[in-house]
Amino acid sequence: MLKAASSLGVVFFPAYDWAISPTHPERQERLLYTQDQLREEGLFDIEGIREYKPQVALAHDVDLAHFTFPEVEQVVTSSHLISAGGAMRAARLVMEREAKRAFALVRPPGHHAMKVVHGTRGFCTINIEAVMVEHLREKYGVRRIAIVDTDCHHGDGTQDIYWNDPDVLFISMHQDGRTLYPGSGFPYELGGPTAMGTTCNIPLLPGTGDQGFLHMLDHVVLPLIKRFQPEIIINSAGQDNHFSDPITDMAFSAQGYAELTRRLGAHIAVLEGGYSIQGALPYVNLGICLAMAGMDTSAVLEPDFDPERVKQEQRVTDYTKSLADQLLAYFLDPPAVPKHGCVEGKWFVREKEIHYDTDGVFERQVEKVHLCGQCSGTVVIESRAGSGPACLAVQIPLGACPACVELGYEVFDTGQHSAKYRRAMLTDRPGKVVQRVLI
Amino acid sequence: MLLGIDVGGTHTDAVLVGMDGLKAWAKAKTNHADLMASIREVLGRIAPEAGPEPITRLNLSTTLSTNAIVEGLTEPVGVFVASGPGVNPSAYAVGSHFKAISGAIDHRGRVTARLDETAAIEHAKQCKADGVSVYACASKFSPRNPEFEEALRTVVHPQADFVSCGHEFSGQLGFGRRIHTAVCNASVWRLFNRFADAVQRAALELGLAAQVNILKADGGTMPLSMSRSFPVESILSGPAASVMGIIAVCDISHDSVILDIGGTTTDIALFADGAPLIEPDGAVISGRPTLVHALKSRSIGIGGDSAISVLAGQVRVGPRRLGPAMAEGGSHPTLTDALNVLEASSHGDTAASRRGLGELAASHGMDGPTLAQDAALAAVTSIRAAVIALTRTVNDRPVYTIYELLEGKRLKPEKVYVMGGPAQAMAGLLAEVFPEDVLVPRDYAVANAIGAALSRPTLCAELFADTQRGRMLIPGMDVEVAVPHSYDLEQARLDASRYLREYLEQLSIEDPEALVETVEAQSFNMVEGDRMVGRSIRVKCQIKPGVLPGYRKAVIRPC
Repeated sequence: MLKAASSLGVVFFPAYDWAISPTHPERQERLLYTQDQLREEGLFDIEGIREYKPQVALAHDVDLAHFTFPEVEQVVTSSHLISAGGAMRAARLVMEREAKRAFALVRPPGHHAMKVVHGTRGFCTINIEAVMVEHLREKYGVRRIAIVDTDCHHGDGTQDIYWNDPDVLFISMHQDGRTLYPGSGFPYELGGPTAMGTTCNIPLLPGTGDQGFLHMLDHVVLPLIKRFQPEIIINSAGQDNHFSDPITDMAFSAQGYAELTRRLGAHIAVLEGGYSIQGALPYVNLGICLAMAGMDTSAVLEPDFDPERVKQEQRVTDYTKSLADQLLAYFLDPPAVPKHGCVEGKWFVREKEIHYDTDGVFERQVEKVHLCGQCSGTVVIESRAGSGPACLAVQIPLGACPACVELGYEVFDTGQHSAKYRRAMLTDRPGKVVQRVLI
Repeated sequence: MLLGIDVGGTHTDAVLVGMDGLKAWAKAKTNHADLMASIREVLGRIAPEAGPEPITRLNLSTTLSTNAIVEGLTEPVGVFVASGPGVNPSAYAVGSHFKAISGAIDHRGRVTARLDETAAIEHAKQCKADGVSVYACASKFSPRNPEFEEALRTVVHPQADFVSCGHEFSGQLGFGRRIHTAVCNASVWRLFNRFADAVQRAALELGLAAQVNILKADGGTMPLSMSRSFPVESILSGPAASVMGIIAVCDISHDSVILDIGGTTTDIALFADGAPLIEPDGAVISGRPTLVHALKSRSIGIGGDSAISVLAGQVRVGPRRLGPAMAEGGSHPTLTDALNVLEASSHGDTAASRRGLGELAASHGMDGPTLAQDAALAAVTSIRAAVIALTRTVNDRPVYTIYELLEGKRLKPEKVYVMGGPAQAMAGLLAEVFPEDVLVPRDYAVANAIGAALSRPTLCAELFADTQRGRMLIPGMDVEVAVPHSYDLEQARLDASRYLREYLEQLSIEDPEALVETVEAQSFNMVEGDRMVGRSIRVKCQIKPGVLPGYRKAVIRPC
């Protein structure tokens, strides 16, 4: 009888009755072959590996991570609440010591969903990792968290949510933004003025394979995590770096994913993208599960795996090595102020334009962070989606100083009387207050 | 008239049931060295009671295969395993004639690496040299494409007395389970067939023209002829017989709990809307999971013979069995003795029970009645905790659609049926801890044999169709046909139930009232690029376990 070296809970939810549209990559079929493979392998017959069903996230859980306009219920469907609930269930398994590690093998994904949500972008509506992270903080009092996003696309949503948060180290390894959606994720994106260096982006050349990924992991990601000393490590485990993925250009294999998983040693993994549903996902997911359970993965190979075919070119290897050295030095000693944005009085202000490709919505934002000096600072966002009404969002962060708390309420109050906004939302994390106002 | 025999661990029970009720019953001690002797004994006693009326069916539940597997008294099996990528196949190695052969089939049933027949031939030679004559062949994803298993069978067939192939048992996925099922089946094949021969001889000697059926772990039956090729399906049929007995005797229509309290253990089974719950993946035997369909049940170490102990002021019952009870001449007080002290029963030598409890109590500074009270409470509390845990497992079972997650049925037991030796004595105590109604059906002494007698055939068909590849197959029924691109879920549903009925006829199982139900039906559009290229269709049809309605009217009573 097989036995896991370390216990693993797998929250598996393939949402067999939900799709963005019948032929969209996010369709019913996506995890079908993964389930076939896991069942055939008898994963849940292995002692120490158990399957769980997700819980359902509540609107309040979403409020802790996002400013949703107009309302949570009007932006998300039950599929999103279940997928976020799946990540929360995984967190609960680990925090309540039912399992040493947990993998939320759920869909739809979430890492392109930003702090403000008006709709769906990059197949994502709400950020399921962020909902989980806020649950970890709110319910279990976890403070320092590292998120390593290994999806092929830059995790721009997660980056946006934790941009101004010095207690969350966000590291994204992805195909270079000059060659792939969403077109961001450059090394100079380091976080907001009060959280510089807790956002780290590692762009990889198209054609990067196992060797390149593992080199970046060993020489950049792991040293950063070591320095940050997180209480919990989360892996946004997208699987679209696979050599067979139809919408990306990388050369990562199931063996590579398993090895990365083993070396990273995340407590919780959450599925993100990955759309080679027959040729990659069954093997990559199996590899991740076995690696998280500390088991042998040497026989987890794609049927068409050919080491020669996925071998990365020498120029990619050379580039990766030189980039790794430069990046680590840069991240360990980041510039004092962000590249984009400027100081206006006691605020740091940046402007953003966000495209919701799935919903065809265009949003303009002005984000202001209070340069407090005592805490990470209250954040104020003015947002307008398309020709819709202007919205005001105020975030008083966990650990906010009394002045920032007072400032948050003051801005919220002034905003409501300014006649500038139609909707306003305030999240006061220390005070555990969420307010929504229709003006 | 129907004849039912349940060969249990302690007793062999037999009943004769007519359209007008229970005609006769017999009970004998089970002779483990010679099960046939026990069967002959009870048969000889009740078969003559039938009089001129013909006995049409003889249903038999036996521990033969279970015991042989659990005690390791089985025959060595030559095992051929074609694995392909995934979990390392050496993890499934069993016995000393196991060989992993290279070759791979993927989740859609496509061959992705050729089978190494040369290696298979080598292994067959070695097995022959070692004197092995029964074989098991299993390949990964064989329910999606049985060709490797068939090829391996062809290699070994000339030298084999018997060959089991994994895909014959189930269309369900689970490579390790498939290997273990095929191996267990081959390992008890000879033993079981000798037994089947003896049963047929005994029936002939008694002049019985009845169709002989063997009980399965899912509470259904299979014809003796079929059981000769699938002896592993007869494992764990004892608990199933008891559950079917309850269905026969009582009119269960709610979500309910069945407690079968024996000497060593209490077996818990669950009913949803009056139907017994099935273990979704398959039975576990000797700690290894199989694909054998079984009723969902849990066993906890609390029974009449469970020892009472006091540890750090905490009174406990079981899981140690130190029976028999002092009331029956034993040397350590057990739950049965506690029930005597509480006057819930007056079983055997009640004075011995009082003495035993009194002495154990005194050594811990308590008095006998208090210890008995605490012990009984500990027993019923543990039973209730196990029921809650099992119910929770059922309600927490994973589901894969939003609809089921949000709207799915939750099991909420309303009644608790208690059977087994100490049932009557425990009922009052159980009623104190269970908020549900606690009921003890009368005539529980042979309910298991009544259950065996009235059980009906069960069968399962798992259809898999891939319209892009233009094929549909039902593993185990030897169905593999071409289907057009337009083949859809509705046609698949009809096909599954049609082939199931045809298969029934082929086995000459006559059960016109057999209810074919579709338990799973899914169709997924397969998309490549942005074009739909076909459907992946999965349908599971089954004939549910149940009891013959005509006879049931004869044995049913208010519970």
